[in-house]
Amino acid sequence: MKVGVINLNSGNLLSVVSALKRIGHEVQVIDKPAVDFDALVMPGQGRFAFVANQLNQNNWRSFITEWIHKDKKFIGICVGMQLLFESSEEDKGAVGLAVLKGKITKLQHPKTPMVGWAKLSGNDDFLNQQYVYFVNSYAVSDSEYCIAKVDYGNSFCAAVQKNNLYAFQFHPEKSGDYGLELLQHCLGE
Amino acid sequence: MSDLIQKTSLVPRIIPCLDVAYREVVKGTNFKQLVTMGDPIELALNYQHQGADEIVFLDIKASVDQQDSTIAMFRKVAENLSIPFTVGGGIRQLSDVEKFFDAGADKVTINTAAVENPQLIDQISQKYGSQSLIVAIDVNHEDDGSRLLYTHGGSVRSETPYEQWVKEVEDRGAGEILLTAMHKDGTGTGYDLKLLSELQLSIPVIASGGAKNPKDFKDAILAGADAVLAAGIFHRKEYTVEDVKKYLINNKIEMRI
Repeated sequence: MKVGVINLNSGNLLSVVSALKRIGHEVQVIDKPAVDFDALVMPGQGRFAFVANQLNQNNWRSFITEWIHKDKKFIGICVGMQLLFESSEEDKGAVGLAVLKGKITKLQHPKTPMVGWAKLSGNDDFLNQQYVYFVNSYAVSDSEYCIAKVDYGNSFCAAVQKNNLYAFQFHPEKSGDYGLELLQHCLGE
Repeated sequence: MSDLIQKTSLVPRIIPCLDVAYREVVKGTNFKQLVTMGDPIELALNYQHQGADEIVFLDIKASVDQQDSTIAMFRKVAENLSIPFTVGGGIRQLSDVEKFFDAGADKVTINTAAVENPQLIDQISQKYGSQSLIVAIDVNHEDDGSRLLYTHGGSVRSETPYEQWVKEVEDRGAGEILLTAMHKDGTGTGYDLKLLSELQLSIPVIASGGAKNPKDFKDAILAGADAVLAAGIFHRKEYTVEDVKKYLINNKIEMRI
């Protein structure tokens, strides 16, 4: 499968790209919208406002929104998941893509960021009871498309799925063999 | 803080540490007689396969002339490993850090440079986020019962008081503290549990120094460690990471498997 990794200049893409290559995909990092891909992956690290601002460049907002509305394969990771929602407590003025309803809030735990491995729970058999790797201070507490949750101070939504749209608050590319299987599962092979 | 709930799904981590010199894994204690143990990527993948939650690489011979080839090696690690990894050794200033993150490292660890230039902690955590920085602290239990801070791989005693330094590291924005009890390191007498239990921190603590058997890992976690780092016990193949995790699970400590 031909997978495009969206470069929003927010963190290193090497791990995501390498993980996708390891499971057999043809991967290309893209700085501008391009349609000749079977799936798009949007990683993101750092502040919500910074990455949201990157989306204002190159017509990314309308391109990604349209891609998702056409139900083409899309995976958001970490801040790349948060951006699918409407807004974030981290940066009140910044707006997300609003493909999904909800607001990102700060984790209610004295130690943030949450860093480490946690077990997912939910009704999705592919995700339930699996350990995955988190690095985040913010998350969406719930969503109608939530398929897995974890606790960190409060309970929050670790994964969402809406048809061919998947998004993870954790890092599948850092979640060992299971993380790779999960990426493959999303890409439908 | 009192209104915040400490409910967490996070599980304690087991972290093998690999000492690296000239792009080979070496036995780390005696710097004069380096014994090579093998290829860093191969050994790291082996630990990943055993169930390691993270890997720490310490470049114990880090020097400017070696840097490019070492960075290339870490890039290869990033391309092959599916779990987070940390690199350290030879980081003096902010500009040194960027190369490691560019090569795909998830976190960096600093020790001497932090003590000599505490601002470096603020700089790294502001630029890359606190989650990307582990400050390593080497503490020794002296004969008179005091705890003193050391730098330069444990060879130089620092003027900075240990307790004050721990607090300062946290306040300046370190994401985690890697606490090595020098008086325990390499002794196989277990982690310093008193040292661990006396810490009152709002950031995770990685215990290091002294592991001989799986029970030592259990004791460190029960004493408050969020993660446990070990080198010799895994390199010498006395126990695999899987052995340690099975023991901990049998002792009612939740582990990622």
